[in-house]
Amino acid sequence: MYDTPFRAERDVSAKDTKIAAREVQVYYGDTHAIKDVSVDILDKTVTAFIGPSGCGKSTFLRCINRMNDTIDIARIEGLIEIDGEDIYDRRVDPVQLRAKVGMVFQKPNPFPKSIYDNVAYGPKIHGLAKNKAELDEIVEKALRRGAIWDEVKDRLDAPGTGLSGGQQQRLCIARAVATEPEVLLMDEPCSALDPIATGQVEELIDELRQDYSVVIVTHSMQQAARVSQKTAFFHLGNLVEYGDTDKIFTNPQDSRTESYITGRIG
Amino acid sequence: MSDAANPASPAASNNGARSIHTVDARTKKRNASEKRFKYYGIAAIATGVFFLVVLLGSILWNGVSAFQQTYLEVPVYLDPERLDRENPSSATTFTYNPLIAEAVWERAQELGFGDEFEDEGGMSPLISASAAAIIRDRVIANPDLIGETIDVRILAGSRVDGYLKGRVDRDSASRDRNIDVAHLELVDAMQENGSIRKVFNWDFITGTDASESRAEQAGIGVAMLGSFFMMLVVLGLSLPIGVATSIYLEEFAPKNKFTDLIEVNISNLAAVPSIVFGILGLAVFIQFMHLPQSAPLVGGLVLTLMTLPTIIISTRASLQSVPPSIRAAALGVGASKMQSVFHHVLPLALPGILTGTIIGLAQALGETAPLLLIGMVGYIATNYPDGIASGFLDPNSAMPAQIYEWAKRADPAYYERAWGGIIILLVFLFAMNAIAILLRRRFERRW
Repeated sequence: MYDTPFRAERDVSAKDTKIAAREVQVYYGDTHAIKDVSVDILDKTVTAFIGPSGCGKSTFLRCINRMNDTIDIARIEGLIEIDGEDIYDRRVDPVQLRAKVGMVFQKPNPFPKSIYDNVAYGPKIHGLAKNKAELDEIVEKALRRGAIWDEVKDRLDAPGTGLSGGQQQRLCIARAVATEPEVLLMDEPCSALDPIATGQVEELIDELRQDYSVVIVTHSMQQAARVSQKTAFFHLGNLVEYGDTDKIFTNPQDSRTESYITGRIG
Repeated sequence: MSDAANPASPAASNNGARSIHTVDARTKKRNASEKRFKYYGIAAIATGVFFLVVLLGSILWNGVSAFQQTYLEVPVYLDPERLDRENPSSATTFTYNPLIAEAVWERAQELGFGDEFEDEGGMSPLISASAAAIIRDRVIANPDLIGETIDVRILAGSRVDGYLKGRVDRDSASRDRNIDVAHLELVDAMQENGSIRKVFNWDFITGTDASESRAEQAGIGVAMLGSFFMMLVVLGLSLPIGVATSIYLEEFAPKNKFTDLIEVNISNLAAVPSIVFGILGLAVFIQFMHLPQSAPLVGGLVLTLMTLPTIIISTRASLQSVPPSIRAAALGVGASKMQSVFHHVLPLALPGILTGTIIGLAQALGETAPLLLIGMVGYIATNYPDGIASGFLDPNSAMPAQIYEWAKRADPAYYERAWGGIIILLVFLFAMNAIAILLRRRFERRW
């Protein structure tokens, strides 16, 4: 692959736990999709979930902001805490949770509205802006964070769907950060992008780490190695190995992890 | 160039391999069947187009003449001796009839007719029975006309109208007690002289229904109003109920046996014959709820029942066509279910919903069977509704029911009116479908 201009720092010892999962089970009808997953995800860190297709990494990601609630047959057991609060507690409104845990999807999915409205929508429904000026400020800040401001500042009224794939994905990231989340979930955010757009998004992910706990699902091990500090390897619904990215890729403890990263299973 | 000199030539390299320059039997067969299938398709479309042309052609052929009406143009002297200027409504149409007949008689004598008819009484087959009432209304509106000779258009009788349109000829007139061949001679002379003319028939479009013997006066206007008020009821009820039902079923309802049952029932309701809805309306709205008979309100309610499944099915289809990624995106930024539906899904589904609604309305507009059962048919459409409430509640007819009613009547003049009514109905249906297509073109979003 190509060389990345940045090198993710590996010192994560002093970070707090942001998301704590304990013995999480997910069932889709009769299928046991996630088995006994326990993991601590740190704040201000990029955590990568890797594993072969169908291993449950996306399913687990979607548990963290309760997107699985929208699937009728999905059933979740176990405990997931964010900042020490159980997100599956009866008092939790998933809407409030999702304002705190933003999500970026595999396929760029901007609303078929203007670029401005795409970003402004979240802050509007959460009442983050008192007036138009404040909203403008939030939108600009989010677009700058999404590293797309310079490309779209002159055409904020243009439809978001008219941008290129890479721009759309960065718009979606801007939309996700506009609601001031604390955790950012990314489900294979670069799978629909070309290498150049992928590079831009990866650079962006590394910057976002300063403010958020970023969890990224990826099929590309090179990507996991480039952007993440922590890596979790999933296989057949199990969390096989979780640790510092350096360690996972250079000195995996489990034979399955080793087989996967060397390309023997997948 | 020989093959030996050029070993790269195709002929040389094709030694023993399958040639793609000769079509093998299997490919030939496949191509032939493909071609055959294409011809079947073209034949099917050609048949369809042929029947469509025949249908539209026969409708126009039979119906266009309804848009012209024959009038006599002779000056009528409003004799002050017989009409009271102070109290113009005291004179009935019996007073006016001779005035008109005399005016026509005078013109007939000017043209050299006379012996055949004895006196002005012989003129009555030329004049519509409604002509006196039309002139009387005009005099009542403006009593100063009394004592003057006015140039007025006198509605001609339906036989005269038929003669000018080719429906009546000398042969049929000789067997007709209502008109003689001599009258037709007079009509010919008057037409040459300019006293009988066909003009565009606004009264057919705006007018009221008329009795069996006055086909020349009948119009579809009141029935059009009846249809209009019914469509208001249908639109006002079926759009909100249908859209709300669809949104609930599609976006909120859990998928279980009960909602499955509802779904199956909605699909089945769409296929229920409309007369069943008619008898349901008769039983529930009229016999049980005692709503007024023959009223557009009841007609609208019945047609609402009929239109709902259509609207629900098309609305659900357009909600389903909104990509799930839009819903995920909305939920992902923390929108509630309702916000995601109303801010994102519904606007994208709107063109489809509107199209479905308009098509449902068009269907309801052309529906006759249920109206027969709730009494929205018959000789009732003779008065314009006065005001909104009476528009909904007073007995009225509807366009298709009026057409059915005309088609039943004996006078061939009504046959022509029925076809004319069909043209008007089709114009409305085409207009509604055109609006549906425009809406779809205009608001369709791509993502």
